[in-house]
Amino acid sequence: MTVRSKDVGLFEAAINVLKDFRAVWRVFTKTLYYLFRGKREKGEIARQMFHVGNESLFFMCITMAFIGAIITFQTGLQSKKLLPDFSLMGATYLKLLVRDLAASVGALPLATRVGAGIAAEIGSMVVTDQVDALRMCAADPIDYLVVPRFIACVIMGTVILVIGGFVAYGAGMLVAFVSFDVNPHTFNNLMYLNLGDLVLGFLKCLVYGAAIAIVSAQRGLATFGGSEGVGWATTEAVVGSCFAIIVLNLIISTVGYFLVPGVGPM
Amino acid sequence: MSAAPAKTPFWLLLPAKIGAAILVMAKQVGGLSILAGKILRRLTPGQIDRHELFRNMNRMGVRSVPIIAATAAFTGGIMVIQAAPFVEQVQATSFVGWAATFTTIRELGPLLIGLIFNGRVGANNTAELGTMKVTDQIDALRALAIDPIAYLVVPRCLAMVSMMVLLCVIGDAIAIGGAMLTADMLLDVDPRVFWASAVERLEPWDFWVGLIKSGLFGIMIALTSCYYGLQTKGGAPGVGRSVNASVVAAAAGIFIMDYFSTFILD
Repeated sequence: MTVRSKDVGLFEAAINVLKDFRAVWRVFTKTLYYLFRGKREKGEIARQMFHVGNESLFFMCITMAFIGAIITFQTGLQSKKLLPDFSLMGATYLKLLVRDLAASVGALPLATRVGAGIAAEIGSMVVTDQVDALRMCAADPIDYLVVPRFIACVIMGTVILVIGGFVAYGAGMLVAFVSFDVNPHTFNNLMYLNLGDLVLGFLKCLVYGAAIAIVSAQRGLATFGGSEGVGWATTEAVVGSCFAIIVLNLIISTVGYFLVPGVGPM
Repeated sequence: MSAAPAKTPFWLLLPAKIGAAILVMAKQVGGLSILAGKILRRLTPGQIDRHELFRNMNRMGVRSVPIIAATAAFTGGIMVIQAAPFVEQVQATSFVGWAATFTTIRELGPLLIGLIFNGRVGANNTAELGTMKVTDQIDALRALAIDPIAYLVVPRCLAMVSMMVLLCVIGDAIAIGGAMLTADMLLDVDPRVFWASAVERLEPWDFWVGLIKSGLFGIMIALTSCYYGLQTKGGAPGVGRSVNASVVAAAAGIFIMDYFSTFILD
């Protein structure tokens, strides 16, 4: 069991990171196993999808609208200093949004919202011994608790991130029109977008959804120490999923840079 | 809402929901402002518990350095990878340094570090204050004639704001290092070219904007996490709920604040 809030050396910290990674990996493989082998409770996935999707939709739309506005405004400021030509702003923004930003930046607030919820829910089940009760009934908590959340996160995470991407694009278009006088017709330019970008963007959405579910569920299942422990597990779930998203983004983006060059038209 | 007296007509449901959401939001903004006022009134130097302040600074700031450093390094790398196709397309290798440092210092550094800080420190702070609240420790302080705001909240807020700004400086430096390394490996941009392009075009004001932003995010995280912690009710499950609400509210607040500060601090 990991010891919290103690001064540990660098190597010990590295070993702890590896241990955490192994624990997350174990939950992941078990989830995949039960995904195909497990028995499904009717309606549980739909309920989880409602939690992940519908209930975070409002929050995500507001967040993504502001993100889109910030990015366009900042890009406009930056390009105003170099060369005041905004005709390709929309095309560039759309490509970046599809390729990376909609998924990667949107996944961070999603992880905050959904990951904290999953960890708090499973964590409070653990500290009130409900998970042990499940085990007593010969129901594996991973099959019963994690798999529905995993499926819900992968599906609804992708849906929400795609919706968020559209919202961010619309907000960007609005800001470009208001602040830099870019006509929406000029802004709405699919020139730089190609199939590789779409594939990469979708892949990122799927992977982030899965990462949020697995990391948060693992943190929730590893909860100990009563109600204070639930608070800790929530914190670790948010930080862990954000960190996982950033690391996965680096990996996928590097592989994508070499495999899916994304230069040129569709 | 199990025993609703009369069924609301369908067309009134949406405005009613929007109105309820606005009322909740207004209540929270009001509560935050009152808390901010209370904190401001206690900011005279003699009243702050110095031991508590330093303890919190160490716990919140020094212990967050590894996760912030790792996040920042990856972020710097990702930024250059995403910019790489455009850079190759227009052969603008001499602008990479400036573009990467400008974006990091002004936008991405404060934003990402703010989100991670919110997940790690803000959530933890809410959990701690919430646990104290539901176990009546805060009332016990009051009974001992110790002002809980001056003793608990003010040192935490000061520590969070100052540590957020300092962590942002560290994170910026590491992110720029990561970007430099990636640009060297991926685009064959010599680190010296990268650095020269950054130094030539950056202004001190860009750096100050980043610091002001991170300070604002720090204030946002501090106020939100303390407010939700002190508002906790309903025992152990209540702590989990308020941690969740606090993290989500602070994340939304960070994005909204980022938007307005980007506009104002041109």
